[in-house]
Amino acid sequence: MLTGQIDWKETIRQMYMIGVLSFVVVSITALFTGFAMSLQISRELVQFGADTSIGGVVSLALVREIGPITAGVIVAGRVGSSIAAELTTMMITEQIDALKVMRVDPVKFLVVPRYTAALIMIPTLSVYAMFTGLVAGIVIAQAAANVPPDTFLDSVKQTILDRDFSVHFLKSLINATVIIMFSCAIGLHTRGGAEDVGIATTRTIVWTMISIFILNFVVTSVTYAPR
Amino acid sequence: MAARSAEPILELVNIHKAFGDRQILKGVSFQVFAGEMLGLIGPSGCGKSTILKIICGLLEPDQGEVIKRSDDIGLVFQGSALLNSLTVRENLAIALQARKLSRKESDRIISERLKMVGLEGFEEFSPTKLSGGQQKRTSFARAIVNDPKIILYDEPTTGLDPVMSTVIEDYMIDLERSLQAASIVVTHQHSTWTRTADRVLLMHAGKIVWEGTPEEGVTSEDPYMKQFAHATREGPMLVGAVED
Repeated sequence: MLTGQIDWKETIRQMYMIGVLSFVVVSITALFTGFAMSLQISRELVQFGADTSIGGVVSLALVREIGPITAGVIVAGRVGSSIAAELTTMMITEQIDALKVMRVDPVKFLVVPRYTAALIMIPTLSVYAMFTGLVAGIVIAQAAANVPPDTFLDSVKQTILDRDFSVHFLKSLINATVIIMFSCAIGLHTRGGAEDVGIATTRTIVWTMISIFILNFVVTSVTYAPR
Repeated sequence: MAARSAEPILELVNIHKAFGDRQILKGVSFQVFAGEMLGLIGPSGCGKSTILKIICGLLEPDQGEVIKRSDDIGLVFQGSALLNSLTVRENLAIALQARKLSRKESDRIISERLKMVGLEGFEEFSPTKLSGGQQKRTSFARAIVNDPKIILYDEPTTGLDPVMSTVIEDYMIDLERSLQAASIVVTHQHSTWTRTADRVLLMHAGKIVWEGTPEEGVTSEDPYMKQFAHATREGPMLVGAVED
């Protein structure tokens, strides 16, 4: 990647596999997460007469935490498992050995396009999840608490800082790295039979999700800890 | 048999290899010459495929030396090992990447190699749409796309019906004549080693126990060769690697 030797044709194919094919599931997840969060927050803030702050609270959660985590976890489950299964199967059927005999670097051929694609598409999905959740939040805030969209968005603008978007972007890049590195490392180091494909897939999902949650917390504590 | 070179193009000297506690190869030595097809035969688990992997660098021997007078090696894998996400053309194009050819030149070479194995017109097919025999021939074409000096065949006819096995064996014979490479065919299929090999090495328990021509092999009174050539249950061989 650093030398610019990227197979863009394969990268674009991976962008479709990672990003476009995850679009629907991220949409549904982000929508209903936004609905649920906005409903819970609206219910509580209305009791305290703080309904004009609903937008700010919902957006804080979405931008800082829920957006990157939702996209990360969904893609980890969908894409991470798929990559691990694909690469494990390639190992078992000697396709990786075939690449080595042809003096093709398996990392350059398989990992780089996937990582490049993930670095582009996962932050995109993450931002999309954030906006979808916000739209869901606007809808629920109006329906449950009679908060007009203008009021909701004013609260968002007053609460969200540029730093929040930077942290969101950083988290999504970390998620992309975790998903691709775990799925490729596990996939390229597994040998055996059909059962091992399943083991590799499960291991990828578990390790990726644990890492996403832990690293998300680390970034949050570093950037948002009270001083 | 095509005229073979005076000097060996490939030489294995006292190769030892173990996987954990299992000693698979115990001092294997042989030479292969350009223009010659060497048959490496033996029961399952005796280390034949391990030798091929050591020759092409996928495995390192624990002891011994591999002397190659060329690094141009083509390997036909037992399961073909075609990349299913790529077309037939793209599978062959990967092998040409290092030469940095133009698309036109690359396509010309690919078309020629596919024609050699009777698959012209199949360039844009996915390997998943090919039959077993077609996949095997595609892997042949991929193995020879760079005109290798050493061609390795790992169980090329395993899993194929007798008719397709004969077709594959015919292609192997034609390729040996046209490319004059040093070839090794690992097989336990009787028709493959008797039809294609110029010289045969029989392996058992990690060692070479017999050497000769296929004609000598089928008439040999050596107990190992006799048991293997006639597939009889009685004899000195055991299935798999034998512990010391």
